[in-house]
Amino acid sequence: MADLSIQVRDMDGVAVMLPEGFVNAHTVRQFEEALEGLIQSGRYTILLDCQDLNYISSAGLGAIMGLIEPIRDKGGDILLCSLQKNVYAIFDTLGFTQLYQVFGTRDEALLALSRKAQ
Amino acid sequence: MKPAAEPETFRLTIPSQTRYLNLVTGLAKRASMVAGLDDATASKVSIAVDEAVTNVILHAYQGSSDHWVDIELRFQAKALEIRIWHNGAGLRENEIALPDPGEYVRHPRKGGLGLLLMSRFMDEVHFKESPERSECCMIKRVT
Repeated sequence: MADLSIQVRDMDGVAVMLPEGFVNAHTVRQFEEALEGLIQSGRYTILLDCQDLNYISSAGLGAIMGLIEPIRDKGGDILLCSLQKNVYAIFDTLGFTQLYQVFGTRDEALLALSRKAQ
Repeated sequence: MKPAAEPETFRLTIPSQTRYLNLVTGLAKRASMVAGLDDATASKVSIAVDEAVTNVILHAYQGSSDHWVDIELRFQAKALEIRIWHNGAGLRENEIALPDPGEYVRHPRKGGLGLLLMSRFMDEVHFKESPERSECCMIKRVT
């Protein structure tokens, strides 16, 4: 099994990224390239669905941190949903839960985005 | 009075390559559970080990893949002690300034979070440097 595989789906105009596996120093470039690819194609609202993300190290957090400003400058955002307990602990420990909107499920996140768009 | 038993210890040596990170963190998580830590705490220990080994590979060895990293797991009576040795550039404990998470939230930037995660997820983190080798020692107590 690969350390990381990433799927991207379009749902209600939102780019939903589904990483599966581990984001660490070995896989971070793949993760970063997937995010950069979305930005380059003009997708600035990105929902990171973490239900199959087993863990993310500071390398992965740095990748998100490095791209958030250009995304928000374009009026977009990175949102998070379905975090496993240990992944939530990492985000929360570093204060990232104050920086990013975190939702329990993908549906809750998409609903919040659709309400915001109205 | 019987002398205190030596803690059970085992070592793993890996090449300085990030592709082995997953192997090491998986081992650290299992070892944490053997030591008596719960699943959530074991996950935190495995992240701290990921960060420590990543620091060695990317910073001490500057990404060079032909060195080694030694990892020792020592099962103390009420703690898991993890020592990571290498012969690259070491960190001096008195020169480490941990980033302030609040500052990160106010001024987001890339990098510098690994040491903070290590210090938050472990009970003790120490760095030692000697001419022969550098060491990072992390301790998680079993409560």
